Amino acid sequence: MARPHIEPFVELNEGYKPFRLLGFVGSEYKTLSLDVDTGACSLKVRFNNGYSRPPGLSYSDTELFLLSGSMTYGDETLVEGHYLFIPAGHSTPAIKVDDGCEALLFCNDSEPNFVESDASHELALGSGYVSVNSYNDPPWSSGSIVSPSVASGCMIKLLRFDPLTEAMTFLYMMSPEFMQDNISYHDCAEESYHIWGTSWMMQFGDLPTGGYFWRPPYINHGSFRSKLGCIALGRTDSKLHNYFHFNPWSNPDENLQRAAAFLYRQRPQLFKWVAAAGGHNHPHGPVGQADGAVLPEDFESPAYLDHPQTDMLSKQMYRFLNADRSGKHHHHHDD
Amino acid sequence: MSKNVQDHKPPRSKQAEEWLTEEIASQEQRYQAIIDEQTALTPEREKWYAEFLRIVSTKGFNVTGDMRRVITEEELPTKPDRDDAMKVVW
Repeated sequence: MARPHIEPFVELNEGYKPFRLLGFVGSEYKTLSLDVDTGACSLKVRFNNGYSRPPGLSYSDTELFLLSGSMTYGDETLVEGHYLFIPAGHSTPAIKVDDGCEALLFCNDSEPNFVESDASHELALGSGYVSVNSYNDPPWSSGSIVSPSVASGCMIKLLRFDPLTEAMTFLYMMSPEFMQDNISYHDCAEESYHIWGTSWMMQFGDLPTGGYFWRPPYINHGSFRSKLGCIALGRTDSKLHNYFHFNPWSNPDENLQRAAAFLYRQRPQLFKWVAAAGGHNHPHGPVGQADGAVLPEDFESPAYLDHPQTDMLSKQMYRFLNADRSGKHHHHHDD
Repeated sequence: MSKNVQDHKPPRSKQAEEWLTEEIASQEQRYQAIIDEQTALTPEREKWYAEFLRIVSTKGFNVTGDMRRVITEEELPTKPDRDDAMKVVW
């Protein structure tokens, strides 16, 4: 079981709780979403005046986005809009907060954890480290980095891109009077936090400042509107493909099967390989598993199966995908 | 020796176990509150769906970017007769 579908959730209506885990004492937090097995989570954290911690590392990939205030991070002063991706085991410098700050904190592999250390773990993938001020450094670019694409008026700043899973972290904005008249779903889980402004989706209504969602794959969202515009931080856990359609009543099971039909139509060789290797293309069969299949080799990244995100994705199961809602079974074993 | 830092994580502390247990319970409450709130929106959502189908069949449906296609009456879907037809949180 991965994270449940949390949408919409407006954190501004909730109070902070004291954070008592090692490395976070002196801060407070609100949980936005949580993987009940691994403890991986998305939190909003308020680092109070006087918060400090020594150099150290986490056994989880960690992302931090500074919403307000400033933080002394080693020799640097991070201000609002700063984004960090800290690979698991990568040592961070001493942190000190003089006047308080608020941040989004994402622990991608496990619950928040901290070990004091002034050196990185020997296996840390330091090359994955990202430190950028998202407000000042990269320019806005068209939202059409994927195709089919969003309508004009939705722009992004890509902050992190994982070359193996194509997971992304990005800032996005919708201009005033933004509109997009289609329903979308993806193969990936998608997450968003509204830094400022309100957007509207036909299923869920308004998502205001402080609004948040964690949306598992194949769930309908849209059409889309934003009357006055908005700016938000978005993340995906793997490649984002926009499957657009106009049936408001389709369920995740139907959307999944439609996605497989896209694969059949658009990547037929890949579909045939997947279908033939292990026979696990049955619509009601295991999802995300490859038991019995010959796993494909990647000449460029031969060890990709050892990659934590790849490993995590291969083990995830979403219960609703196994539910039979259609009343129509396709039993090829009965043929 | 495993190649990933994550595999070398020490066992979860008692404090972390307690934190996780508490947060799982809180999340279940949040999830249920979302379900209740979204269920209450159903009558309004019915109107949003009707308006959406009117727009895609007149102004058009965004195929990709700003490219639109008008959906014909024959193509328009109808609401299925099943319990989850108006479900939006899964």
